[in-house]
Amino acid sequence: MIEVQHVTKRYGPVTAVDDISFRVERGEILGFLGPNGAGKTTTMRIITGYMPPTEGRAIVAGFDVLEQPIEAKRRTGYLPETPPLYPDMRVSEYLTFVAKVKGVARSQVKARVDGVMERTRIADVARRQCGQLSKGYRQRVGLAQALLHDPEVLILDEPTAGLDPKQIIETRQLIKALAGDHTIVLSTHILPEVSQTCQRVVIINKGRVVAVDTPENLTARVRGSEAMYLQVDGPGPDVSAALTQVPGVSGVTLNDGAGGPVSVEVTSEDGRDVRRELASAVVSRGWGLLELRPMRLSLEEIFLHLTTEDTTAAEPGVAPPEPPQPGQEEETTHA
Amino acid sequence: MRNVLAIAHKEVKAYFDSPIAYVFIGFFALLFGYFFVALLSFFTSQSMQMSMMGAPVNVNQQLITPLFLNTSVVVLFVLPSITMRTYAEEKRSGTIELLLTSPLTDMQIILGKFIGAMTLYAALLAVTVVHIGVLFWKGNPEVLPVLTGYLGLLLMGGCFVSVGLLISSLTKNQIVAAMVTFAVFLLLWVIDWISQFTGPLAQQVLTYLSVTQHLDDFTRGVVDTKHLVYYVSFMAFGLFLTARSVDTERWRG
Ligand SMILES: Nc1ncnc2c1ncn2[C@@H]1O[C@H](COP(=O)(O)OP(=O)(O)O)[C@@H](O)[C@H]1O
Ligand SMILES: [Mg+2]
Repeated sequence: MIEVQHVTKRYGPVTAVDDISFRVERGEILGFLGPNGAGKTTTMRIITGYMPPTEGRAIVAGFDVLEQPIEAKRRTGYLPETPPLYPDMRVSEYLTFVAKVKGVARSQVKARVDGVMERTRIADVARRQCGQLSKGYRQRVGLAQALLHDPEVLILDEPTAGLDPKQIIETRQLIKALAGDHTIVLSTHILPEVSQTCQRVVIINKGRVVAVDTPENLTARVRGSEAMYLQVDGPGPDVSAALTQVPGVSGVTLNDGAGGPVSVEVTSEDGRDVRRELASAVVSRGWGLLELRPMRLSLEEIFLHLTTEDTTAAEPGVAPPEPPQPGQEEETTHA
Repeated sequence: MRNVLAIAHKEVKAYFDSPIAYVFIGFFALLFGYFFVALLSFFTSQSMQMSMMGAPVNVNQQLITPLFLNTSVVVLFVLPSITMRTYAEEKRSGTIELLLTSPLTDMQIILGKFIGAMTLYAALLAVTVVHIGVLFWKGNPEVLPVLTGYLGLLLMGGCFVSVGLLISSLTKNQIVAAMVTFAVFLLLWVIDWISQFTGPLAQQVLTYLSVTQHLDDFTRGVVDTKHLVYYVSFMAFGLFLTARSVDTERWRG
């Protein structure tokens, strides 16, 4: 249904998207996961025909987005990162305008507008001005706008960003309900988001595809590197030595407590649950166990893990070294 | 065409939903009223002298023509604020993403915005019908030069609107758009002032380029194809350049 073929996008010297390819099958929900600045919005803007790629091409429902933009756009609904609302327009007025612009037949405009307002539960704000809506309602009006012409393809750029937990659950349910008759691509920078909603995930980082897999497989691949965080009231070196001896523990990183309690990060083999053993190791030696909890990997750490997992067992929490700053050599060339 | 009208309608509504339209109409009515009274007093005193000398008095030539020419000056000031938001505001607020991902051609969007701005402009001109009406009520001017005068003002405004759209499409900042547009209008308006100091060929070219030079004949009841061609091709060129600009912006991202 959607084909992205070797798409590259450069903004002047910045390469935002670097040779990305993937396919989305009819009726599928694809998650597009990546940290901020990974190139998610740029890729979506290319699929929706908002901007052309520097290289490569995007095909939606069989139509090349650059060569047959009108046909492709007829079949695409798009919720941009910021919902494109006109603040002075009332919600129903705005949706009527969008329906006309999207080419909904005159006789169906009213029914479609009422239909999507019902579906996205915004009928109660139909008479309110878009500019006065809360973030949650704006997002829903944005979604309603994308659904108006009943497109086959839905491109949703961070549809749950900035919503409260209840709204997030509602939006997820709505998106799931839309799957089946629609092919959906949604972007997010939160891992649980995709495991909740999507059947397949494309992970991108720095403009490149890092992994394409099901959420289950990805979670399994990542679990191996899950770490425990402990805070122990005891002598640092002894604590470190004691924990290293616990069966199943593969790595111990000690952060100096500067006289107070010490913080320790412990990784286990194959993600084995060693919490009980860790606790008894600390307590049996008479130290105080102040804290013991699993460490959630940040998305950056997951990327690091996914990109380096074949070479070494990446140590979580360790950032790659910063590349040398340009600009220093300028002084020497001047002289 | 339906898409074009939907956008035009949205533009007009945006003007009238906010205070913009009313402020402009009020401002325009005030300035035009001022010119009207000033020119009318001048005309009255002048025609008294003339009739004492037995010369014929012509309302059209001595009052209505200068009134229309003065109106073109007011238009110069008002139109930049009408066109400044057309593209700049959509780019700033992100609604441009909606328009550019809808099944529309760039030209449909541009024409919709053009018609929208022209509708507000026509509403401004409609205010002046009241003043001119007074002249018909109290005197008996010729109808034809009045009608062609309005036609000329509409065409001239169309040129300015097409330039305003182009400039608005180049920036996200409404104020910058308004200021640059005003500067360009001013240049188009005064470009023939230096023509008397240049060679004959340059003089012809400069006079031809001046947007207001072409208005003169219209206010005298003459619709010359030369002027029509000028105005229509000016507008078409302005809209074409706007389309180029929108497309370039799209590539740049
Ligand atoms: N209009 C633009 N001009 C220049 N650089 C841009 C523009 N839009 C995005 N970028 C850059 O491209 C990269 C990818 O951005 P984006 O696609 O917005 O990422 P994401 O949506 O994943 O956060 C970022 O480094 C960003 O700074
Ligand atoms: Mg983004």
